[in-house]
Amino acid sequence: MSSVGHIEIQGLTLGFKNFGMVNAIVENISLSFSAGSFTSIIGPSGCGKSTLINAIGGHYKPITGHILLDGCEIKQPTADLGIVFQQHTLFPWKTVIENVRFGPIQRGIGKNDANEIASKYIEMVGLSGYEDYYPKMLSGGMQHRAEIARSLANKPAVLLMDEPFGALDAQMRTTLQDSLIKIWDETNVTIIFVTHDVEEAIYLSQKVVVMSRNGGKTNNIFDINEPFPRNKGEFLFSNNGRILKEKCMDALAI
Amino acid sequence: MGSSLSDSTNREDLHSAIAAFDTKPGSPGKKSDGREKIRLFLMRINWLAFVIPLLSITAGLAAWQFLTESQTQFILDFSNIPTPVNVFHSFRDAVVTTVFWRDIYWSMYRILVAFAFGSVLGVTAGVAMGYSNILKLVIAPYIEILRPIPAIAWVPMAILIWPTTEESIIFITFLGAVFPIVLNTWDGVRRVPNELVKAARSLGANRVNVLFHVVIPYAVPNITVGMALGMGSAWFALLAGEMISGRFGIGYFTWEAYQLIQYGNIIVGMLCIGVLSSISTGSIYYLKNKLVPWAE
Repeated sequence: MSSVGHIEIQGLTLGFKNFGMVNAIVENISLSFSAGSFTSIIGPSGCGKSTLINAIGGHYKPITGHILLDGCEIKQPTADLGIVFQQHTLFPWKTVIENVRFGPIQRGIGKNDANEIASKYIEMVGLSGYEDYYPKMLSGGMQHRAEIARSLANKPAVLLMDEPFGALDAQMRTTLQDSLIKIWDETNVTIIFVTHDVEEAIYLSQKVVVMSRNGGKTNNIFDINEPFPRNKGEFLFSNNGRILKEKCMDALAI
Repeated sequence: MGSSLSDSTNREDLHSAIAAFDTKPGSPGKKSDGREKIRLFLMRINWLAFVIPLLSITAGLAAWQFLTESQTQFILDFSNIPTPVNVFHSFRDAVVTTVFWRDIYWSMYRILVAFAFGSVLGVTAGVAMGYSNILKLVIAPYIEILRPIPAIAWVPMAILIWPTTEESIIFITFLGAVFPIVLNTWDGVRRVPNELVKAARSLGANRVNVLFHVVIPYAVPNITVGMALGMGSAWFALLAGEMISGRFGIGYFTWEAYQLIQYGNIIVGMLCIGVLSSISTGSIYYLKNKLVPWAE
């Protein structure tokens, strides 16, 4: 377990103020993500899971409550909080390597060192040989991988992923899920993974947080104690897996 | 296609032509000899795309020649219009004079200076408006008030506020260029997807770096479109300025030709303006393709 990347959420309310009235999207939730853990957040669409992950990333200010990274309040986006968005957000005018080295260069690392770091993460996500391609020349899955590499190149303490595999076909999704587990194992980064796919959540994570439709008020948390590496087929169809899946489904239905 | 088939007299030729037609270019088909290759090449050329415009222009020139030679006066008055042959002679006489090239030089010089100022100021103002709400509120009213005023309406004001005629012509040309550039830059900057900005922020970029690494690159295609449109209206404005108050320039050349009854030169001037204007707009589109290889 690494010592950095602990996220603590205390009494958090997110939303927008309208003529002094608070229109809450996420209301008074408290959660803890320990350093180096893999947590999935599932919930029906519109329950505020994207809002929550954006707030952890520093893109929304809480109305009340606190979000702490290793004890410090998150006030704005930082390189410690890497985000992989649902949409493609590679810079179209930069090649793969230029995209991946963007973070290191922003931190003031020289071009040569940044290139070296970028190459390492490009290799990690299996995109070696595509360094000089523009994003539009890559398939959707490859773009997602490049985005993961770009986030990792900053060595973030936390990797926030907002339904990153939502738009992919089943086969590509499985491949990327396995890559993600491998990367998590290699980097020890804290991963908070938002998805609407129950099986994906159970297969990938150590902990599943279920958010309910009414502002995450009645959230259920399930621990997934299956050791890694997991076999997707075996695990999901084992007794344990099935029970977890049913529990999650029941929690979602509330 | 029909024309190249009809000249094959014997059946064998016809068959080989059909075979060549069936074989897609580049596909590993039957072994073809040289003649067949030529035939294939000729069949691939879209003759109509050459022939029809050529016929159309020829017909136009013929009509022009006829109307001017017969001095037709029906609604339009062709009696004072030079014939195409006269225009050609005027052109031949003009290109050997230094005056002609001096006028082209002055027009190009004015366009370049005015366009450079227009681009720098236009892009700066457009980015400022797109990136800051306060600056938008400060700048936008001026744009909304001044933009609808045609450049030609600025001529008296320009002469009054600038010390020399030269400066007032450049100023009018600048006004022609700047508004399309401002508006298109602003539009491009406004369209930057929030996700790209958020991604850059999460990668550790500050507001300034977001501006230079995300916002401006995203707007580059729009900026170049604005520049191409700006170039067109800059020529429009330049000509207005040159005709009214110039002493050199291709617009002055054209207007002077009218005053000196050198009617052939009017049309030489007009065609020159057309060519120069499309060259300058075309070079912007060329630059655009060089600048944004990622957008294709």
